[in-house]
Amino acid sequence: MGRQYEIPIGAQHISLLEPLHFKFTTENEKIVATEANVYYVHRGIEQACCSKFKFRQVSFVVGRVCGLCSISHTTAYSQVAEKLLKIEIPLRAKYLRMLVIELDRIHSHLLCLSHVAENSGFEALFMKTMQYREFSMELLEAVCGNRIQYDFSIVGGVARDLKPQVAQSILERLKKFIPQLDELMDIYKNNWTLSLKNKGAGAITKEDAMRLNVVGPFARAAGLAIDVRNETEDLLPWKQVGFEMITETSGDVYARNMVRLRELYVSIRIIENIINGLPESALITETKAFPDGEATVRLEAPRGELFYYAKGNKTQILERLKIKAPTFSNVAAMAEAFTGNEYGSAPAIIASYDPCLSCTAR
Amino acid sequence: MKTFFKALGNVFKKPVTTKYPFEQTFIPDDYRGLIGFDENLCIWCRRCEMVCPPGAIVFSQDMEGKQTYHFNRAVCIYCGECVRACPKEGAIFQTAEPAPCALKAENINNGWNKLFDEALASREAYAAEKKRKAAEKAAADKAAAAKKEEENKTGN
Repeated sequence: MGRQYEIPIGAQHISLLEPLHFKFTTENEKIVATEANVYYVHRGIEQACCSKFKFRQVSFVVGRVCGLCSISHTTAYSQVAEKLLKIEIPLRAKYLRMLVIELDRIHSHLLCLSHVAENSGFEALFMKTMQYREFSMELLEAVCGNRIQYDFSIVGGVARDLKPQVAQSILERLKKFIPQLDELMDIYKNNWTLSLKNKGAGAITKEDAMRLNVVGPFARAAGLAIDVRNETEDLLPWKQVGFEMITETSGDVYARNMVRLRELYVSIRIIENIINGLPESALITETKAFPDGEATVRLEAPRGELFYYAKGNKTQILERLKIKAPTFSNVAAMAEAFTGNEYGSAPAIIASYDPCLSCTAR
Repeated sequence: MKTFFKALGNVFKKPVTTKYPFEQTFIPDDYRGLIGFDENLCIWCRRCEMVCPPGAIVFSQDMEGKQTYHFNRAVCIYCGECVRACPKEGAIFQTAEPAPCALKAENINNGWNKLFDEALASREAYAAEKKRKAAEKAAADKAAAAKKEEENKTGN
Protein backbone atom coordinates (compact mmCIF):
# COMPACT_ATOMS: atom_id res chain seq x y z
CA MET A 1 0.00 0.00 0.00
CA GLY A 2 1.52 3.28 -1.14
CA ARG A 3 1.17 6.63 0.51
CA GLN A 4 -2.01 8.50 -0.20
CA TYR A 5 -2.08 12.09 -1.36
CA GLU A 6 -5.01 14.46 -1.58
CA ILE A 7 -5.06 16.62 -4.69
CA PRO A 8 -7.70 19.32 -5.05
CA ILE A 9 -8.90 20.50 -8.45
CA GLY A 10 -11.10 23.59 -8.62
CA ALA A 11 -13.11 25.61 -7.78
CA GLN A 12 -10.92 27.67 -10.10
CA HIS A 13 -8.60 25.65 -12.27
CA ILE A 14 -7.08 26.02 -15.69
CA SER A 15 -8.72 22.92 -17.11
CA LEU A 16 -12.09 23.48 -15.46
CA LEU A 17 -14.57 25.81 -17.07
CA GLU A 18 -17.00 25.65 -14.24
CA PRO A 19 -16.76 26.51 -10.54
CA LEU A 20 -16.65 22.92 -9.39
CA HIS A 21 -14.38 21.44 -6.75
CA PHE A 22 -13.10 17.87 -6.74
CA LYS A 23 -10.84 16.50 -4.04
CA PHE A 24 -9.01 13.40 -5.26
CA THR A 25 -7.37 10.91 -2.94
CA THR A 26 -4.59 9.42 -5.04
CA GLU A 27 -2.28 6.50 -4.56
CA ASN A 28 0.66 6.40 -6.99
CA GLU A 29 -1.20 8.54 -9.52
CA LYS A 30 -4.28 6.30 -9.27
CA ILE A 31 -7.43 7.94 -7.97
CA VAL A 32 -8.90 5.88 -5.14
CA ALA A 33 -11.58 8.24 -3.84
CA THR A 34 -13.20 11.48 -4.92
CA GLU A 35 -15.18 14.11 -3.14
CA ALA A 36 -17.27 16.56 -5.16
CA ASN A 37 -18.32 19.99 -4.07
CA VAL A 38 -20.74 22.16 -6.04
CA TYR A 39 -22.72 25.32 -5.21
CA TYR A 40 -20.02 27.97 -5.62
CA VAL A 41 -22.15 30.27 -7.76
CA HIS A 42 -25.48 30.56 -6.00
CA ARG A 43 -27.38 33.44 -7.60
CA GLY A 44 -30.78 33.11 -5.93
CA ILE A 45 -32.72 32.86 -9.17
CA GLU A 46 -35.51 30.72 -7.71
CA GLN A 47 -36.16 33.28 -5.00
CA ALA A 48 -36.12 36.12 -7.53
CA CYS A 49 -38.65 34.25 -9.70
CA CYS A 50 -41.00 33.91 -6.72
CA SER A 51 -40.72 37.47 -5.43
CA LYS A 52 -39.56 40.09 -7.91
CA PHE A 53 -40.81 38.96 -11.32
CA LYS A 54 -44.29 38.37 -12.66
CA PHE A 55 -44.99 34.91 -14.05
CA ARG A 56 -44.77 36.06 -17.68
CA GLN A 57 -41.40 37.69 -17.04
CA VAL A 58 -39.98 34.59 -15.34
CA SER A 59 -39.47 32.83 -18.69
CA PHE A 60 -36.83 35.47 -19.50
CA VAL A 61 -35.23 35.16 -16.07
CA VAL A 62 -34.83 31.37 -16.19
CA GLY A 63 -33.29 31.72 -19.65
CA ARG A 64 -30.37 33.34 -17.85
CA VAL A 65 -29.87 30.28 -15.61
CA CYS A 66 -27.65 28.70 -18.24
CA GLY A 67 -25.99 30.18 -21.29
CA LEU A 68 -25.80 26.94 -23.23
CA CYS A 69 -29.20 25.38 -22.66
CA SER A 70 -31.08 28.68 -22.40
CA ILE A 71 -33.87 27.46 -24.68
CA SER A 72 -34.39 24.28 -22.63
CA HIS A 73 -34.93 26.31 -19.46
CA THR A 74 -37.26 28.81 -21.13
CA THR A 75 -39.27 26.05 -22.81
CA ALA A 76 -39.54 23.99 -19.63
CA TYR A 77 -40.73 27.01 -17.68
CA SER A 78 -43.18 28.01 -20.41
CA GLN A 79 -44.61 24.48 -20.38
CA VAL A 80 -45.00 24.42 -16.62
CA ALA A 81 -46.69 27.84 -16.69
CA GLU A 82 -49.01 26.66 -19.47
CA LYS A 83 -49.97 23.70 -17.30
CA LEU A 84 -50.79 26.07 -14.44
CA LEU A 85 -52.84 28.27 -16.78
CA LYS A 86 -54.45 25.15 -18.30
CA ILE A 87 -53.93 26.21 -21.92
CA GLU A 88 -52.87 24.28 -25.00
CA ILE A 89 -50.34 25.93 -27.30
CA PRO A 90 -50.60 25.92 -31.13
CA LEU A 91 -48.94 23.08 -33.03
CA ARG A 92 -46.60 25.39 -34.97
CA ALA A 93 -45.26 26.80 -31.70
CA LYS A 94 -44.50 23.25 -30.51
CA TYR A 95 -42.59 22.48 -33.70
CA LEU A 96 -40.63 25.73 -33.56
CA ARG A 97 -39.68 25.03 -29.94
CA MET A 98 -38.39 21.61 -30.95
CA LEU A 99 -36.44 23.16 -33.82
CA VAL A 100 -34.59 25.59 -31.57
CA ILE A 101 -33.97 22.94 -28.89
CA GLU A 102 -32.34 20.68 -31.49
CA LEU A 103 -30.22 23.50 -32.96
CA ASP A 104 -29.16 24.27 -29.40
CA ARG A 105 -28.28 20.62 -28.85
CA ILE A 106 -25.98 20.69 -31.88
CA HIS A 107 -23.98 23.63 -30.58
CA SER A 108 -23.91 22.35 -27.00
CA HIS A 109 -22.71 18.86 -27.96
CA LEU A 110 -20.03 20.27 -30.27
CA LEU A 111 -18.81 22.54 -27.48
CA CYS A 112 -18.54 19.59 -25.11
CA LEU A 113 -16.69 17.49 -27.70
CA SER A 114 -14.25 20.31 -28.35
CA HIS A 115 -13.48 20.61 -24.65
CA VAL A 116 -12.90 16.88 -24.35
CA ALA A 117 -10.39 17.21 -27.20
CA GLU A 118 -8.72 20.19 -25.57
CA ASN A 119 -8.47 18.58 -22.14
CA SER A 120 -7.08 15.43 -23.73
CA GLY A 121 -4.29 17.59 -25.13
CA PHE A 122 -5.55 17.81 -28.71
CA GLU A 123 -5.69 21.56 -29.39
CA ALA A 124 -6.02 21.27 -33.17
CA LEU A 125 -9.16 19.17 -32.85
CA PHE A 126 -10.53 21.68 -30.35
CA MET A 127 -10.11 24.44 -32.95
CA LYS A 128 -11.62 22.31 -35.68
CA THR A 129 -14.69 21.40 -33.65
CA MET A 130 -15.21 25.02 -32.63
CA GLN A 131 -14.90 26.09 -36.26
CA TYR A 132 -17.60 23.61 -37.32
CA ARG A 133 -19.78 24.70 -34.40
CA GLU A 134 -19.98 28.29 -35.62
CA PHE A 135 -22.68 27.56 -38.22
CA SER A 136 -25.14 26.49 -35.52
CA MET A 137 -24.60 29.76 -33.62
CA GLU A 138 -25.31 31.76 -36.76
CA LEU A 139 -28.43 29.73 -37.49
CA LEU A 140 -29.68 30.30 -33.95
CA GLU A 141 -29.01 34.00 -34.39
CA ALA A 142 -30.98 34.01 -37.62
CA VAL A 143 -33.91 32.14 -36.04
CA CYS A 144 -34.03 33.83 -32.62
CA GLY A 145 -32.30 37.17 -33.27
CA ASN A 146 -29.58 36.59 -30.70
CA ARG A 147 -26.57 34.31 -30.40
CA ILE A 148 -26.81 33.25 -26.77
CA GLN A 149 -29.96 34.30 -24.94
CA TYR A 150 -32.68 33.19 -27.31
CA ASP A 151 -35.81 34.32 -25.40
CA PHE A 152 -37.70 32.26 -27.96
CA SER A 153 -40.32 30.47 -25.88
CA ILE A 154 -42.77 32.65 -24.03
CA VAL A 155 -45.74 31.63 -21.91
CA GLY A 156 -48.40 30.58 -24.42
CA GLY A 157 -46.25 29.96 -27.47
CA VAL A 158 -43.17 31.32 -29.22
CA ALA A 159 -42.00 34.89 -29.71
CA ARG A 160 -41.01 34.81 -33.38
CA ASP A 161 -41.98 33.01 -36.55
CA LEU A 162 -39.59 31.10 -38.81
CA LYS A 163 -39.07 32.97 -42.07
CA PRO A 164 -39.03 30.88 -45.27
CA GLN A 165 -35.57 32.12 -46.33
CA VAL A 166 -34.16 31.32 -42.86
CA ALA A 167 -35.66 27.82 -43.08
CA GLN A 168 -34.04 27.42 -46.48
CA SER A 169 -30.65 28.55 -45.17
CA ILE A 170 -30.90 26.09 -42.25
CA LEU A 171 -31.40 23.20 -44.68
CA GLU A 172 -28.49 24.36 -46.85
CA ARG A 173 -26.11 24.82 -43.93
CA LEU A 174 -27.05 21.43 -42.46
CA LYS A 175 -26.29 19.80 -45.82
CA LYS A 176 -22.85 21.41 -45.69
CA PHE A 177 -22.36 20.33 -42.09
CA ILE A 178 -22.94 16.60 -42.64
CA PRO A 179 -19.54 15.93 -44.36
CA GLN A 180 -17.84 18.00 -41.64
CA LEU A 181 -19.56 15.88 -39.00
CA ASP A 182 -18.43 12.71 -40.80
CA GLU A 183 -14.89 14.05 -40.60
CA LEU A 184 -15.20 14.75 -36.87
CA MET A 185 -16.73 11.30 -36.33
CA ASP A 186 -13.76 9.76 -38.11
CA ILE A 187 -11.25 11.62 -35.94
CA TYR A 188 -12.99 10.99 -32.61
CA LYS A 189 -13.53 7.34 -33.50
CA ASN A 190 -10.25 6.30 -35.11
CA ASN A 191 -7.55 8.67 -33.90
CA TRP A 192 -5.03 6.61 -31.99
CA THR A 193 -3.62 9.44 -29.85
CA LEU A 194 -7.04 10.50 -28.69
CA SER A 195 -8.01 6.91 -27.92
CA LEU A 196 -5.14 6.66 -25.43
CA LYS A 197 -6.76 9.35 -23.30
CA ASN A 198 -10.35 8.44 -23.96
CA LYS A 199 -10.80 4.70 -24.23
CA GLY A 200 -11.42 3.12 -20.84
CA ALA A 201 -11.16 6.41 -18.97
CA GLY A 202 -13.90 7.43 -16.57
CA ALA A 203 -15.89 4.27 -17.17
CA ILE A 204 -19.11 3.58 -15.32
CA THR A 205 -21.15 0.40 -15.48
CA LYS A 206 -24.81 0.21 -16.37
CA GLU A 207 -25.73 -0.98 -12.86
CA ASP A 208 -23.87 1.91 -11.24
CA ALA A 209 -25.46 4.37 -13.65
CA MET A 210 -28.88 3.07 -12.72
CA ARG A 211 -28.13 3.09 -8.99
CA LEU A 212 -26.81 6.67 -9.06
CA ASN A 213 -29.64 8.11 -11.18
CA VAL A 214 -27.49 9.23 -14.09
CA VAL A 215 -29.22 11.14 -16.89
CA GLY A 216 -28.42 12.39 -20.36
CA PRO A 217 -25.54 11.33 -22.62
CA PHE A 218 -23.64 10.17 -19.53
CA ALA A 219 -26.30 7.50 -18.89
CA ARG A 220 -26.80 6.63 -22.56
CA ALA A 221 -23.06 6.01 -22.94
CA ALA A 222 -23.30 3.40 -20.18
CA GLY A 223 -26.11 1.61 -22.01
CA LEU A 224 -28.98 3.03 -20.00
CA ALA A 225 -31.72 3.96 -22.48
CA ILE A 226 -32.99 7.05 -20.68
CA ASP A 227 -34.29 10.04 -22.61
CA VAL A 228 -37.31 12.22 -21.89
CA ARG A 229 -37.90 12.62 -25.62
CA ASN A 230 -38.63 8.91 -25.72
CA GLU A 231 -41.04 8.98 -22.78
CA THR A 232 -43.29 12.01 -23.04
CA GLU A 233 -45.41 12.80 -26.04
CA ASP A 234 -48.01 15.20 -24.65
CA LEU A 235 -46.00 18.44 -24.58
CA LEU A 236 -43.67 18.12 -27.56
CA PRO A 237 -44.27 15.44 -30.23
CA TRP A 238 -40.70 14.11 -30.50
CA LYS A 239 -41.51 10.75 -32.05
CA GLN A 240 -43.47 12.37 -34.89
CA VAL A 241 -40.34 14.18 -36.03
CA GLY A 242 -38.12 11.11 -36.03
CA PHE A 243 -36.49 10.81 -32.63
CA GLU A 244 -34.25 7.81 -32.19
CA MET A 245 -32.55 6.55 -29.02
CA ILE A 246 -28.75 6.38 -29.13
CA THR A 247 -26.91 4.16 -26.67
CA GLU A 248 -23.37 2.83 -26.28
CA THR A 249 -22.20 0.12 -23.93
CA SER A 250 -18.72 0.84 -22.58
CA GLY A 251 -19.59 3.96 -20.52
CA ASP A 252 -16.16 5.63 -20.87
CA VAL A 253 -15.13 9.00 -22.34
CA TYR A 254 -14.95 7.47 -25.81
CA ALA A 255 -18.53 6.16 -25.52
CA ARG A 256 -19.76 9.59 -24.41
CA ASN A 257 -18.09 11.19 -27.43
CA MET A 258 -19.74 8.63 -29.68
CA VAL A 259 -23.18 9.17 -28.11
CA ARG A 260 -22.88 12.93 -28.63
CA LEU A 261 -21.67 12.61 -32.21
CA ARG A 262 -24.36 10.11 -33.14
CA GLU A 263 -27.02 12.28 -31.47
CA LEU A 264 -25.97 15.10 -33.78
CA TYR A 265 -27.09 13.00 -36.77
CA VAL A 266 -30.45 12.46 -35.06
CA SER A 267 -30.73 16.20 -34.34
CA ILE A 268 -30.01 17.03 -37.97
CA ARG A 269 -32.70 14.61 -39.11
CA ILE A 270 -35.20 16.05 -36.61
CA ILE A 271 -34.50 19.60 -37.82
CA GLU A 272 -34.95 18.59 -41.46
CA ASN A 273 -38.21 16.82 -40.65
CA ILE A 274 -39.51 19.82 -38.70
CA ILE A 275 -38.74 22.29 -41.48
CA ASN A 276 -40.18 20.08 -44.18
CA GLY A 277 -43.38 19.40 -42.27
CA LEU A 278 -43.92 22.65 -40.38
CA PRO A 279 -47.70 22.97 -39.73
CA GLU A 280 -49.50 26.27 -40.32
CA SER A 281 -51.19 27.74 -37.28
CA ALA A 282 -51.06 30.68 -34.91
CA LEU A 283 -47.92 31.20 -32.82
CA ILE A 284 -49.39 32.03 -29.45
CA THR A 285 -52.43 31.24 -27.30
CA GLU A 286 -53.63 34.36 -25.54
CA THR A 287 -55.10 34.06 -22.07
CA LYS A 288 -55.89 36.35 -19.19
CA ALA A 289 -55.88 33.60 -16.55
CA PHE A 290 -53.54 33.51 -13.58
CA PRO A 291 -51.44 30.47 -12.61
CA ASP A 292 -53.15 28.23 -10.12
CA GLY A 293 -52.29 24.85 -8.60
CA GLU A 294 -49.15 22.78 -8.97
CA ALA A 295 -47.42 21.29 -12.00
CA THR A 296 -44.21 19.54 -13.00
CA VAL A 297 -42.48 19.29 -16.35
CA ARG A 298 -39.59 17.18 -17.62
CA LEU A 299 -37.62 18.13 -20.71
CA GLU A 300 -34.52 16.68 -22.36
CA ALA A 301 -31.85 19.39 -22.26
CA PRO A 302 -28.52 18.71 -24.04
CA ARG A 303 -27.07 17.45 -20.73
CA GLY A 304 -30.01 15.32 -19.68
CA GLU A 305 -33.33 15.56 -17.95
CA LEU A 306 -34.38 19.02 -16.81
CA PHE A 307 -37.11 19.18 -14.17
CA TYR A 308 -39.35 22.12 -13.31
CA TYR A 309 -41.88 22.39 -10.53
CA ALA A 310 -44.10 25.43 -10.07
CA LYS A 311 -46.89 26.39 -7.72
CA GLY A 312 -49.25 29.28 -8.35
CA ASN A 313 -51.75 31.05 -6.11
CA LYS A 314 -53.94 32.98 -8.59
CA THR A 315 -51.70 36.07 -8.48
CA GLN A 316 -49.08 37.50 -10.83
CA ILE A 317 -46.24 36.19 -8.66
CA LEU A 318 -45.57 32.44 -8.39
CA GLU A 319 -45.53 30.89 -4.95
CA ARG A 320 -42.71 28.44 -5.64
CA LEU A 321 -40.47 27.54 -8.57
CA LYS A 322 -38.05 24.64 -8.34
CA ILE A 323 -35.43 23.94 -10.98
CA LYS A 324 -33.50 20.68 -11.02
CA ALA A 325 -30.73 20.80 -13.59
CA PRO A 326 -29.34 17.62 -15.22
CA THR A 327 -25.82 18.07 -13.82
CA PHE A 328 -27.19 17.89 -10.27
CA SER A 329 -28.38 14.33 -10.92
CA ASN A 330 -24.97 13.40 -12.29
CA VAL A 331 -22.72 14.74 -9.51
CA ALA A 332 -22.81 11.51 -7.47
CA ALA A 333 -21.89 9.41 -10.48
CA MET A 334 -19.19 11.88 -11.51
CA ALA A 335 -17.35 11.29 -8.24
CA GLU A 336 -17.82 7.53 -8.62
CA ALA A 337 -16.52 7.29 -12.19
CA PHE A 338 -13.07 8.68 -11.35
CA THR A 339 -12.13 5.68 -9.19
CA GLY A 340 -9.33 3.60 -10.66
CA ASN A 341 -8.25 6.14 -13.27
CA GLU A 342 -4.96 7.96 -13.63
CA TYR A 343 -4.92 11.44 -12.19
CA GLY A 344 -3.62 12.73 -15.53
CA SER A 345 -6.81 11.80 -17.36
CA ALA A 346 -9.05 13.59 -14.83
CA PRO A 347 -9.44 16.81 -16.92
CA ALA A 348 -10.63 14.88 -19.97
CA ILE A 349 -13.06 12.91 -17.81
CA ILE A 350 -14.46 16.09 -16.25
CA ALA A 351 -14.96 17.65 -19.68
CA SER A 352 -16.71 14.52 -20.92
CA TYR A 353 -19.32 14.83 -18.13
CA ASP A 354 -20.23 18.17 -19.71
CA PRO A 355 -20.87 19.71 -16.28
CA CYS A 356 -22.98 22.85 -16.13
CA LEU A 357 -22.60 24.13 -12.60
CA SER A 358 -24.26 27.45 -13.26
CA CYS A 359 -27.46 25.53 -13.89
CA THR A 360 -26.93 23.35 -10.84
CA ALA A 361 -26.27 26.14 -8.36
CA ARG A 362 -28.52 28.75 -10.02
CA MET B 1 -1.03 10.93 -38.81
CA LYS B 2 -3.59 12.03 -41.40
CA THR B 3 -5.01 14.51 -38.88
CA PHE B 4 -1.53 15.83 -38.15
CA PHE B 5 -0.83 16.64 -41.80
CA LYS B 6 -4.28 18.17 -42.21
CA ALA B 7 -3.68 20.36 -39.17
CA LEU B 8 -0.28 21.35 -40.58
CA GLY B 9 -1.88 22.26 -43.90
CA ASN B 10 -4.06 24.80 -42.09
CA VAL B 11 -1.00 26.99 -41.57
CA PHE B 12 -1.15 27.95 -45.23
CA LYS B 13 -4.89 28.62 -45.36
CA LYS B 14 -6.75 31.84 -44.68
CA PRO B 15 -8.20 32.18 -41.18
CA VAL B 16 -11.84 31.12 -40.85
CA THR B 17 -12.59 33.82 -38.30
CA THR B 18 -13.98 37.25 -39.21
CA LYS B 19 -11.55 40.14 -38.86
CA TYR B 20 -14.05 42.05 -36.82
CA PRO B 21 -13.23 45.76 -36.74
CA PHE B 22 -12.38 45.71 -40.46
CA GLU B 23 -15.13 43.31 -41.52
CA GLN B 24 -18.72 43.28 -40.32
CA THR B 25 -19.73 40.13 -38.46
CA PHE B 26 -22.87 38.19 -39.32
CA ILE B 27 -26.02 40.12 -38.35
CA PRO B 28 -29.37 38.70 -39.50
CA ASP B 29 -32.06 40.96 -40.98
CA ASP B 30 -34.34 40.65 -37.97
CA TYR B 31 -31.67 40.93 -35.33
CA ARG B 32 -33.02 41.86 -31.91
CA GLY B 33 -31.57 45.34 -31.63
CA LEU B 34 -32.38 48.69 -30.07
CA ILE B 35 -35.95 49.52 -29.06
CA GLY B 36 -37.42 52.54 -30.86
CA PHE B 37 -40.23 54.77 -29.65
CA ASP B 38 -42.65 57.05 -31.50
CA GLU B 39 -44.04 59.76 -29.25
CA ASN B 40 -46.76 60.80 -31.71
CA LEU B 41 -48.33 57.33 -31.82
CA CYS B 42 -48.07 56.44 -28.12
CA ILE B 43 -51.30 56.39 -26.16
CA TRP B 44 -49.41 56.50 -22.81
CA CYS B 45 -50.92 53.33 -21.36
CA ARG B 46 -47.55 52.32 -19.79
CA ARG B 47 -48.13 48.67 -20.67
CA CYS B 48 -44.55 48.33 -21.99
CA GLU B 49 -43.24 49.49 -18.64
CA MET B 50 -45.42 46.96 -16.83
CA VAL B 51 -44.28 43.93 -18.86
CA CYS B 52 -40.56 44.80 -19.20
CA PRO B 53 -38.66 42.01 -17.35
CA PRO B 54 -35.54 43.99 -16.33
CA GLY B 55 -37.28 47.38 -15.96
CA ALA B 56 -35.50 49.16 -18.80
CA ILE B 57 -38.47 51.41 -19.62
CA VAL B 58 -39.94 54.02 -17.31
CA PHE B 59 -42.30 56.96 -17.82
CA SER B 60 -41.94 60.17 -15.84
CA GLN B 61 -44.69 62.75 -15.53
CA ASP B 62 -44.59 66.49 -14.99
CA MET B 63 -47.14 68.49 -13.04
CA GLU B 64 -49.25 69.22 -16.13
CA GLY B 65 -49.66 65.45 -16.67
CA LYS B 66 -47.38 65.20 -19.69
CA GLN B 67 -45.45 61.89 -19.72
CA THR B 68 -41.90 61.35 -20.96
CA TYR B 69 -40.44 58.01 -22.10
CA HIS B 70 -37.06 56.86 -20.76
CA PHE B 71 -35.18 53.80 -22.04
CA ASN B 72 -31.89 52.31 -20.88
CA ARG B 73 -30.10 50.27 -23.52
CA ALA B 74 -27.71 48.76 -20.96
CA VAL B 75 -30.50 47.34 -18.80
CA CYS B 76 -32.64 46.16 -21.75
CA ILE B 77 -32.40 42.45 -22.65
CA TYR B 78 -33.94 43.01 -26.13
CA CYS B 79 -36.60 40.34 -25.64
CA GLY B 80 -39.27 42.34 -27.49
CA GLU B 81 -41.88 41.81 -24.78
CA CYS B 82 -42.77 45.55 -24.84
CA VAL B 83 -43.39 45.38 -28.61
CA ARG B 84 -45.73 42.41 -28.16
CA ALA B 85 -47.59 44.12 -25.31
CA CYS B 86 -48.10 47.44 -27.11
CA PRO B 87 -51.79 47.96 -28.07
CA LYS B 88 -50.95 50.68 -30.63
CA GLU B 89 -48.92 49.27 -33.48
CA GLY B 90 -45.74 51.21 -34.25
CA ALA B 91 -45.59 53.21 -31.05
CA ILE B 92 -42.79 51.01 -29.72
CA PHE B 93 -40.76 48.88 -32.13
CA GLN B 94 -37.57 46.85 -32.38
CA THR B 95 -34.85 47.85 -34.84
CA ALA B 96 -32.02 45.64 -36.18
CA GLU B 97 -29.38 48.07 -34.95
CA PRO B 98 -27.03 46.70 -32.25
CA ALA B 99 -26.75 48.80 -29.11
CA PRO B 100 -23.62 50.99 -28.87
CA CYS B 101 -21.29 50.64 -25.88
CA ALA B 102 -22.01 52.71 -22.80
CA LEU B 103 -19.55 55.45 -21.87
CA LYS B 104 -18.48 56.33 -18.38
CA ALA B 105 -19.74 59.88 -18.86
CA GLU B 106 -23.27 58.57 -19.36
CA ASN B 107 -23.32 57.15 -15.80
CA ILE B 108 -25.64 54.50 -17.13
CA ASN B 109 -26.12 52.42 -13.96
CA ASN B 110 -26.32 54.84 -11.05
CA GLY B 111 -27.80 57.55 -13.22
CA TRP B 112 -30.51 55.18 -14.38
CA ASN B 113 -31.36 54.02 -10.84
CA LYS B 114 -31.73 57.66 -9.79
CA LEU B 115 -33.80 58.49 -12.85
CA PHE B 116 -36.02 55.46 -12.27
CA ASP B 117 -36.78 56.48 -8.69
CA GLU B 118 -37.32 60.10 -9.71
CA ALA B 119 -39.71 59.05 -12.48
CA LEU B 120 -41.80 57.00 -10.06
CA ALA B 121 -41.74 59.85 -7.54
CA SER B 122 -42.82 62.36 -10.20
CA ARG B 123 -45.80 60.16 -11.09
CA GLU B 124 -46.75 59.84 -7.45
CA ALA B 125 -46.47 63.59 -7.01
CA TYR B 126 -48.71 64.16 -10.02
CA ALA B 127 -51.25 61.63 -8.71
CA ALA B 128 -51.21 63.28 -5.27
CA GLU B 129 -51.60 66.71 -6.84
CA LYS B 130 -54.49 65.43 -8.96
CA LYS B 131 -56.13 63.91 -5.90
CA ARG B 132 -55.67 67.15 -3.95
CA LYS B 133 -57.18 69.18 -6.78
CA ALA B 134 -60.08 66.76 -7.08
CA ALA B 135 -60.68 66.95 -3.33
CA GLU B 136 -60.49 70.76 -3.47
CA LYS B 137 -62.93 70.82 -6.35
CA ALA B 138 -65.26 68.42 -4.56
CA ALA B 139 -65.11 70.59 -1.41
CA ALA B 140 -65.80 73.72 -3.46
CA ASP B 141 -68.70 71.99 -5.19
CA LYS B 142 -70.05 70.86 -1.85
CA ALA B 143 -69.75 74.34 -0.40
CA ALA B 144 -71.43 75.80 -3.46
CA ALA B 145 -74.22 73.24 -3.21
CA ALA B 146 -74.68 73.98 0.51
CA LYS B 147 -74.75 77.72 -0.17
CA LYS B 148 -77.32 77.24 -2.90
CA GLU B 149 -79.46 75.15 -0.59
CA GLU B 150 -79.22 77.81 2.10
CA GLU B 151 -80.17 80.48 -0.41
CA ASN B 152 -83.13 78.37 -1.44
CA LYS B 153 -84.11 77.99 2.22
CA THR B 154 -83.86 81.72 2.92
CA GLY B 155 -85.70 82.42 -0.31
CA ASN B 156 -88.59 80.32 0.90
